[in-house]
Amino acid sequence: MYSLITFLFVVPVLISLLLLVVPKSLARPLVITTALLLSAISVYLFINSEGVYYFGVPAYVNDMVAVADIILLIFFGWIAIKRRSWIVGLMSLLQLGGLLYLLNTMPAHHSLQFMVDKLSLFMFLLINIISGIIAVYSLRYIDEEHCSPFRKKYFLSTIFWFIAVMNLVVSSNNLEYFFLFFELTTLASFLLIGFRKDEISVKNSLTALWMNQIGGLAILAAIFFIHHNGYGEATFSNLLANAKAETILLPLALLSIAALIKGAQMPFSKWLLGAMVAPTPVSALLHSSTMVKIAPFIILRLSPALKDTPVANVIMALTGFVFIAAAIGALSQDNFKRILAHSTIALLALMIMMAAVGTPVTITASLILVLFHGISKSMLFLNAGILEKVFHLKQSSDMDKLGESGPFTALVITIGFMSLLLPPFGAFIGKWVSIESLGTLATDKKILGALIMVAVAAGGAVLSLLYFKVMGLLIARTGNEDKIHFEKTGPFYAITTYLLLGLLLSTVVGLPLLLNNYFTPVATQISGTPVALVTEGWTMYLGAVKLPLLPMIIAFLLLPVTIVVAMFVRFKNVDRAKEYMCGEKVNYSFSSFYFSTDRATPYFAAAGVLFFVALIMVALI
Amino acid sequence: MNNLWVPIILIILAPLLGGLVYGFERIIKARMQRRIGPPLLQPFYDFLKLADKRKMIVHSAHAFLGIMHFVSLWFALAVLLLGGDLILVIFLHLLSTALLILAAYSTRSIFSHLGANRTAISILAYEPVLIIIAVSIFMLTGSFDAAAAFQSEQPLLYKMPLAFIALLLVLPIKLKKSPFDVAEAHQELTGGVELEFSGIFYEAVYTAKWIDYVFCYALVYLFAGNNILLGTGLIVCTFFYLNALDNSTARVSYKQMLRFSLTVSFSLAFINLLLNSLT
Repeated sequence: MYSLITFLFVVPVLISLLLLVVPKSLARPLVITTALLLSAISVYLFINSEGVYYFGVPAYVNDMVAVADIILLIFFGWIAIKRRSWIVGLMSLLQLGGLLYLLNTMPAHHSLQFMVDKLSLFMFLLINIISGIIAVYSLRYIDEEHCSPFRKKYFLSTIFWFIAVMNLVVSSNNLEYFFLFFELTTLASFLLIGFRKDEISVKNSLTALWMNQIGGLAILAAIFFIHHNGYGEATFSNLLANAKAETILLPLALLSIAALIKGAQMPFSKWLLGAMVAPTPVSALLHSSTMVKIAPFIILRLSPALKDTPVANVIMALTGFVFIAAAIGALSQDNFKRILAHSTIALLALMIMMAAVGTPVTITASLILVLFHGISKSMLFLNAGILEKVFHLKQSSDMDKLGESGPFTALVITIGFMSLLLPPFGAFIGKWVSIESLGTLATDKKILGALIMVAVAAGGAVLSLLYFKVMGLLIARTGNEDKIHFEKTGPFYAITTYLLLGLLLSTVVGLPLLLNNYFTPVATQISGTPVALVTEGWTMYLGAVKLPLLPMIIAFLLLPVTIVVAMFVRFKNVDRAKEYMCGEKVNYSFSSFYFSTDRATPYFAAAGVLFFVALIMVALI
Repeated sequence: MNNLWVPIILIILAPLLGGLVYGFERIIKARMQRRIGPPLLQPFYDFLKLADKRKMIVHSAHAFLGIMHFVSLWFALAVLLLGGDLILVIFLHLLSTALLILAAYSTRSIFSHLGANRTAISILAYEPVLIIIAVSIFMLTGSFDAAAAFQSEQPLLYKMPLAFIALLLVLPIKLKKSPFDVAEAHQELTGGVELEFSGIFYEAVYTAKWIDYVFCYALVYLFAGNNILLGTGLIVCTFFYLNALDNSTARVSYKQMLRFSLTVSFSLAFINLLLNSLT
């Protein structure tokens, strides 16, 4: 077991280094086999794991981590000087100062630095499978990018680097190690966002850098306060062991801030929106399986300690606000990837909220959302890349001819949106459980519960409107042609799309099984209380939440199947008519409605800042 | 088992009932304008006439989505009347409307598109209010099930008067009545989303509107708990209120509608929710 887990850390690093030197012909089989291998290992680990694995590394690694930290921060400082960014410089200096202080004052480590529990294994599955698929897709995508051959290799190499670091992040127990890996994901995203090296890429990558550096700073501060308040070593297990102490709230709040920044919650949503300038596989990585998923991971990890604290209440209020604000913000977007990004922020808010509520059922909801959002978003982003490279489309308003020029891609994107929205797809079940379980919360925290429920439900309605707006463009056709010819996009694009599609559909079919064997055991381990999953006739009970299966199955047949069938159905023996134009001959550009919500954005950001201040305040009091 | 038969019969007869409501509505509206108006069964005569028309469609996907709009709306109504989960009901209703919007977007018709945009905005105007009502009902009965509201001993109206007013303010949007009939607005959009349907395919969209009547009045009935008399009274009052309003007001623009709904109706329902969660 231990060797397999270390395998997950070491192999991607080695591959990442190898990819820098091997020629293109060798890179392809190498990437594909590694992706398969990593996925296979993570599945094997998840199935065969028992209990929690703690393991340590020799003492000299501690020194290596410290040195790596310092080198990394000096590198950030160098970037600040090179790009003349005072804010990155300031953050790097603060972090460096904090780190050196901590290194000098901190006692020696005794406990084990790594901890792999069911949550880590759950994350391994998401990280390795989805990122593996994205890596295979990138083989083709990056071929079409205009850059030097070395930079193409470097791109693939960075992706595997990212996978390795992500695997490390979700397994670290020691916060100092966690800090290093957290910063390394920041570095990886910085490099990937700035990959295209044009002015806007550089600017946005710097934004991503300094915002995430604040997160790193928050972790350092958390480590400091854990020592200062006398809880001994700064580890996750130690934090959870002291969960009921009062002064533990401050480190918890600081770690939550790190999480919220990684999760691009307002006012820090700018970095994720800016990340759109990077090549599309990067967006797919950042949104689905890596980077932003650190946010729900941290909160899930801390949820037993956070549960029922004022910090958790503020997090719930903040994420409830972000959920609806991001949904409203998305309505004004036209760029396809920006629409996806807004919906990511909204759904992340929901995942974080559910994790912060911390009951076994809400933790299950959070896990469901984490997984299914990962699958759906990676599929959507990869197809956004296909739109860009094959059909040369970026704006959603230009997509109204896709139904005829690229029906297969249109179909896949439609299914992707439906999987975020409609029953019985996992994301719907996740949202459903969220709303229903907030009800149980509302009995003891009535006003907060009611407010959040309204935010979630209304935000959900706005999001569905948004998805339908895009789907409306995808389904548009002239009616001149009756036959559908599926387009060919090339093996790499096609295979990755089929894989994700297959994954999506098989998870829908196997959802009851997955709930039982996959989600509830993880939730049980996190929360320490077993999650009851009972099926009575046509109703399934997850804790106190009722899942009426019959209406959901019928709804599935009615809605998603209808929309897919609508693309293929043909009525015979019916005459065709042209649209009614009221006798006018105008060139009408077909576009959808927009709400200019840009004016509201500064207010959203300001409100976000207030929430962050409140987060610290409640922890101090 | 007596209790189960009533909703089932209601569900099966829903299109018929809705058609009668529509026919009656046309008479009442005519009388308010000192006209005699059409016979009560006029909607059904229209129905028969439409079935006889030449079959014409823009393309198959469009016609098919129209039919499925009708089917899914009927299903949403069935879930509501059988006492299903209110959030699911609202969601299904939203999605059935969304199918109609999708249908309208799928054509290249200007008026359809405008109508679809406006229908989407209408959803944005009434949906939050409905959701708050569902959450308030949850606060009072401890369950999202409509059955809990239908069986409640004390009518919900007494606990949620403001929410009921809010419902009355958003119903004209849902039923496309003046002053909030921007989505249909015959003089401007010649019917909006419905425009490109014709003949037998229009039938589905036409009867879907009847089902929407039943759906809306069922929502009104939710407020009466198990008090049948009060429920009937509420429905009759709402019926006259809607027609009087439709007859006496002029259409507002969609911006005014959205602003009114999100400030006045939403706030009313929200205040009610806060009051409910305080006690």
